[in-house]
Amino acid sequence: MEEILSTQTIVVLLVVVATLVAIIGRRIRLPYTVSLVLVGLLISIKRPLDVEITPELIMSIFVPLLLFEAAFHVDFRMLRENLTSIIVLAVPGVILVTMLVGGIVYLGTGLALGVTFVFGALIAATDPVAVVALFRTLGVPHRLAVAVEGESLFNDGTAIVVFQIALVAALSGVFNPLTGIFDFFRIAVGGMVIGLALGWLVAQLISRVDDSLIVTTLTTLLAYGAYLSAEQFHVSGVLAVVVAGLVSGNVGLAGASPTTKIMLFNLWEYLAFLANSLVFLLIGLSVDLPQLWENRLAIGVAVLAVLASRAVVVYGISWFGKRRFQMPVEWQHVLFWGGLRGAISLAMALSLPLALPHREMLQSMTFGVVLFTLLIQGTTIKALLQRLGLTERPQHQIEREVRLGRLVATQAGLRELERLHHDGLLTAEIWAGMRNSYIQDQKLLVKEMNQLFLDHAELEREMVLKARQEALRAEHVALSDALRRGLISGHVNEKLTTDIDHRLEALDIILASVQNGHAAQEEG
Amino acid sequence: MRPIVCATRGGEVSRRTQERAIALAKERDTELIFLCVVDPRFVKLADESLAASLADELQRMGESLLSIAQVRAQKQNVMTRTAVLHGTAWQNIEDYVRKVNADALVIGSPRTDSMPQAFGSGHVQQLAEEMRENTGVEVVVVT
Repeated sequence: MEEILSTQTIVVLLVVVATLVAIIGRRIRLPYTVSLVLVGLLISIKRPLDVEITPELIMSIFVPLLLFEAAFHVDFRMLRENLTSIIVLAVPGVILVTMLVGGIVYLGTGLALGVTFVFGALIAATDPVAVVALFRTLGVPHRLAVAVEGESLFNDGTAIVVFQIALVAALSGVFNPLTGIFDFFRIAVGGMVIGLALGWLVAQLISRVDDSLIVTTLTTLLAYGAYLSAEQFHVSGVLAVVVAGLVSGNVGLAGASPTTKIMLFNLWEYLAFLANSLVFLLIGLSVDLPQLWENRLAIGVAVLAVLASRAVVVYGISWFGKRRFQMPVEWQHVLFWGGLRGAISLAMALSLPLALPHREMLQSMTFGVVLFTLLIQGTTIKALLQRLGLTERPQHQIEREVRLGRLVATQAGLRELERLHHDGLLTAEIWAGMRNSYIQDQKLLVKEMNQLFLDHAELEREMVLKARQEALRAEHVALSDALRRGLISGHVNEKLTTDIDHRLEALDIILASVQNGHAAQEEG
Repeated sequence: MRPIVCATRGGEVSRRTQERAIALAKERDTELIFLCVVDPRFVKLADESLAASLADELQRMGESLLSIAQVRAQKQNVMTRTAVLHGTAWQNIEDYVRKVNADALVIGSPRTDSMPQAFGSGHVQQLAEEMRENTGVEVVVVT
């Protein structure tokens, strides 16, 4: 009983500290997660708390929650447009980072190659939560945010799979490449299949049960259920959670009512805030500074190895893959410097078995790299974004967005009123009265939008391009639907959807070009 | 009556350019041709397999922008037609002006020169002057 009370007191204390940091963080210019790590560090120096960050705590409690929330909010259409670069960075990219970091650390520290490969794998997972939060605040291009977040979602899963394989090889001293490849696919595909099945099941339930309490319960069950089920079958729990989150968030939410959607978004935003706060505070609290100092040279080598391998992977893959996907060079810089490391790497480092040689040194190197990426990269990424001009948006563009947002919201409100009236919940008089004020708002917004287009005609061109993209996405969905209904064959569907994909990619290029002014060459 | 050609592609002064052309066509009681020249070479393209889609989408963008301009002109009872051409902007405009035996060309010149332009504000004036000399057609530059 006393133990429970003591744990409860510590959790309450941590939440109080996290809340205070969040309040103060609004006034200082540091990313929230970085502030938490710093405060954790300060507390551990002044008055160490009796808290232990265990791999089980991170992997079983926090990771399913954080990954599910991230995947649940990702727009699959946007993800699909970046899928090639995301998959390339998250699968061959992780394997390449593992080998490069392993090789450099082997040369720099003299540790056995098998052991350095284990470190290479555990440090390959990126954790851009600080970067993504900054993206949202600064209004960085949404596609770039999806690329960074998407890579992180999938490389967590692949890094854990590679880590497990490397660990077995390091402990046994034997590595069979064929078995390694087979295990990699078995664990990764197995996890994704479980995530897909459970995600689809819950998505069907969400679209049929319009009860916000039941739906929110279903999503929390899915986050942990997908993870636990996959782990029971010895396949990737992380990938299961990611796929389950993607499917339920994209398929399930399409049929949910506005009330349910708001409740779901609020709940998951709160849970993610809580989990992130505790994870980053615990990271700060768990840092053993004397041990880090003892291993400072190895940490230096590890930091260099991580930066060098990240540069090779981001710039190299972008260069080799330029025929398959477009990645502006500014985005490559952001992907390179924004490749922060966090909770997943720490969880893997803490789970290293006692039998592994130089275990403590590897853990120090991991803490060192995580601290470096959070405190140095995390605090300078904003300056980089500003220097690259990725945060600068003209006032008239913001004004157009505000009006568009209000127009979208007004139309949604009008649709909801119409539904309530249709269901007999609004009398004809109330419906007519309320509808009129909404229609007035709509007219005013359209008028304001027209005036804006009159003053800044280039916004109209952007609108035409974006509307075309939306229309093409709708065509894509319609084709999938036609395929499901047996109206068209798989071959025809593939041909037509490939054409749409090419057009969407071309429109992205035109939009980027128009926004950078390249296409405005003659009369403006 | 010889038509008026309005070269437009949805840039920052395009609305004013179109309105000036509509006013001129009304004043001279003549047909207005909205012309858009798209040049895919100005778009950086790493993947050549996208070339066809890119050219097609640029064509569509041009058609949509011209249709929007056409709707505005028709509201003011101005008779219009549209043309989308591919290639070098200025050369195509000059050839087209000759082909339709235009009475005047209305073209916009960007206010800002911070963006990478094929030709900036001063450059448009200079090219307009050359076109006047080469074709004898009146060129109206809207800024």
